[in-house]
Amino acid sequence: MRNALLIAVREFLDNTQTRGFWFGILLVPLLWLVASQVPLILARKGTPTRHVALIDTTAGERLFDVVLDQLKTAESRRELFHFREWAASRLKPGQALPAVDKQPQAWSRLQKDLGPLMKADAGQFAPPAPLNRLVALPSELQWRGDLSEFEGRLRDWMRAGRLFKPVGVDEEVPLFAVAILQDGLTSNAPPILRFWSVNQADTQLQDRLVDALSRNFRSREYSRLGMDPSSIARVEGSQAQLMSFNPRKAEGEEQVGVADLLRQWAPSAFVYLLWIAVFSISQMLLNSLIEERSNRILEVLLSSVTPLELMTGKLVGVAAVGAVMTLGWIGSLVLMTFWTLHTAGAAAMAADSIAHRLPLELATLLLDSWLLPAFVLYFLLGYLFYAAVILALGSTCNNLKEAQNFTGVIALLMMVPLVSIAFIPKDPNGPVATVLSWIPPYTPFVMMNRVAANPPLREVIGTLVLLLLSDVAVLWGCARIFRTAVLRTGQPASLVQLARWVLGRD
Amino acid sequence: MTAALELRHVSKSFGRFHAVQDLSLSVPAGSVYGFLGPNGAGKTTTLRMILGMLSPDSGELSVLGSPSAMSVRNRVGYLPEEKGLYFKMTATSVIAYFATLKGLSSARANQRARELLGRYGLGAFADKKVETLSKGMGQKVQVLASIAHDPELVLFDEPFSGLDPVNQEVLEEILIDLKARGCTILFSTHVMSHAERLCDRLIILGGGRGLFEGTVAEARSLLPIRITLETAEASPLLGILPGVRSMEAHSSNRWRLELEPGASASAVLESCFERSLRLRRFDVQDPDLHEVFVHLVGPSARETALR
Repeated sequence: MRNALLIAVREFLDNTQTRGFWFGILLVPLLWLVASQVPLILARKGTPTRHVALIDTTAGERLFDVVLDQLKTAESRRELFHFREWAASRLKPGQALPAVDKQPQAWSRLQKDLGPLMKADAGQFAPPAPLNRLVALPSELQWRGDLSEFEGRLRDWMRAGRLFKPVGVDEEVPLFAVAILQDGLTSNAPPILRFWSVNQADTQLQDRLVDALSRNFRSREYSRLGMDPSSIARVEGSQAQLMSFNPRKAEGEEQVGVADLLRQWAPSAFVYLLWIAVFSISQMLLNSLIEERSNRILEVLLSSVTPLELMTGKLVGVAAVGAVMTLGWIGSLVLMTFWTLHTAGAAAMAADSIAHRLPLELATLLLDSWLLPAFVLYFLLGYLFYAAVILALGSTCNNLKEAQNFTGVIALLMMVPLVSIAFIPKDPNGPVATVLSWIPPYTPFVMMNRVAANPPLREVIGTLVLLLLSDVAVLWGCARIFRTAVLRTGQPASLVQLARWVLGRD
Repeated sequence: MTAALELRHVSKSFGRFHAVQDLSLSVPAGSVYGFLGPNGAGKTTTLRMILGMLSPDSGELSVLGSPSAMSVRNRVGYLPEEKGLYFKMTATSVIAYFATLKGLSSARANQRARELLGRYGLGAFADKKVETLSKGMGQKVQVLASIAHDPELVLFDEPFSGLDPVNQEVLEEILIDLKARGCTILFSTHVMSHAERLCDRLIILGGGRGLFEGTVAEARSLLPIRITLETAEASPLLGILPGVRSMEAHSSNRWRLELEPGASASAVLESCFERSLRLRRFDVQDPDLHEVFVHLVGPSARETALR
């Protein structure tokens, strides 16, 4: 037992004392951080102000004002969003941000109203730089009444990537876009927007303009046809309300919310984590065994320890590596959840969007459910199964190339639970999920995925017992293969030979 | 003298291949024992059986008084033929690791590792990773790893292979030190001069069988003594010299004699004086171990090599 422990400790240190290991642990929360923070940072900082010119060639109703209104409204909403963020982080403890309407300039009124709720050192809110600024074109691009002649000049000017100094701007800037408003082809046809920009990937501005022009056109048409545009807008804006209920929940709390959705999908995230953990540490185990085999260290080891001690030590050591890895991931996820909670202000979140409530719900879910214990249990049982098989097969191979023939097959088999991640939560107690649960190599992944759906107790216990028995059987068989194969040289063993070793006939 | 290691009629086959057949040997405690044989003679299989990694099909073993090396493994050291270490570990930690697997406490193992590295010229590399050491240094580290726990019996499989002459001398020094401490040493080698210099007793294996077991002197006595003799003048009397098995004339006054087994060169010299032969040269050539080895295993080894 002492020797198995010594081997486990060396195995653990060998795998954890590399930069790659810690980089791998850091990478997951880092990606999570990037994925969760980048959109927020982008929303906060925004892209630099874009300078846009507008040319209205329409003969009938001038559309210039319509577009201008639309741009102003969008900017006001953006300011309001920034104001809310600014205000939420400066509230006095225990205060919540009241619901606010999204009218333009609401923030300035709000700032005054919120005075008593804010901290003394809140300071003044500084509105962000506008996203789009409407500017006049430089003199060489003046409109002379001929569209094709104008567009010719515009094309050359924009193609050259030239900078110019618009009125009211202190520096030279590029021209982001020129929007040319044109009458429709017939008198009752909607207007045409000719949008010139070198950036065709970001369609936010053109979508906004098209939307404003369409709405304006529809409203005009309704009036022309004798209909009341405001009534129609009200009718069109109405939508059926969805209230979702889960009969399994306690009486009075049946309504389905964010927490329920999270509860339904969180196991899938854990299955994914489980899969990555089992897969990557099985590879570690294989690499270390093949290194010892090809370096002929095994022979020295086996003069000091029994094959069973060696196998146990390796299994335990690498399991500890996997535990550190997954604990690192889960721990950093929890820490970052709390960090997000802390920085964004819990009070603001309680009243705010679903996206802001997610971290709180996630933290509650992690601490108050069966997810973590189930994860630990299925990690250990699943790992033992795959690790034993990998060790036995690895012990018959002289180098990684030979081992890859086996691991390829195992990786293929392991694809099934990976594919099942997506569809099991949709029908967690359906026939496919039930059948897969009873196949021991898949039990950990599938049952983990079903945790939230309260599968029948007999299935939970039945599959667990079957998995345990399979683990024992696989460990026993693999130990027999390992014992025989580990000192053998030459060709990798055939399946028949493996079977003979398991049965002790060789 | 008691035996540290004994094999009695041990056999081991792999399928139809008889790796070791009816092998018996006895290694006296505190002696240096040579394990000689061509490639494929069954040396490594025998060593693995001694270490308990393989079990014999028949026969009996006694390792330090125990029927299985596994029960006395902490008193045995082993250096396999193909050398390898953990490349990412330092010289000290790798020696200490193997010593802890042999029962030493971690502190004691580290102390022993540093002590040995210092004593055998690797003190400056104690904290260097194995991957930065030369092949010879790595091999020395592995030798030290196999003896750091002060074993009573060490089994070295081809310890000299891959070492330069200077490091071979260091290894000889290690073996001599071990012997001085009372350790029993069994080592296999292809280099007969090492066996001749170091071994108290030796066994020569061929085709899985023991072809000879005894001292170096006994091995040498398997082949006749040769004498090159030159006289001042042609002499017909040589034919009646005692103990001469065969005589080959190189010229009218120069001969190469081969003596009967057990006959002594001094008797021949005395006889020459008695016959008043005027000797110009009397050159005695004892057979060396290399000749004995080739004589014993040559035909079968050649067959194996060509197969």
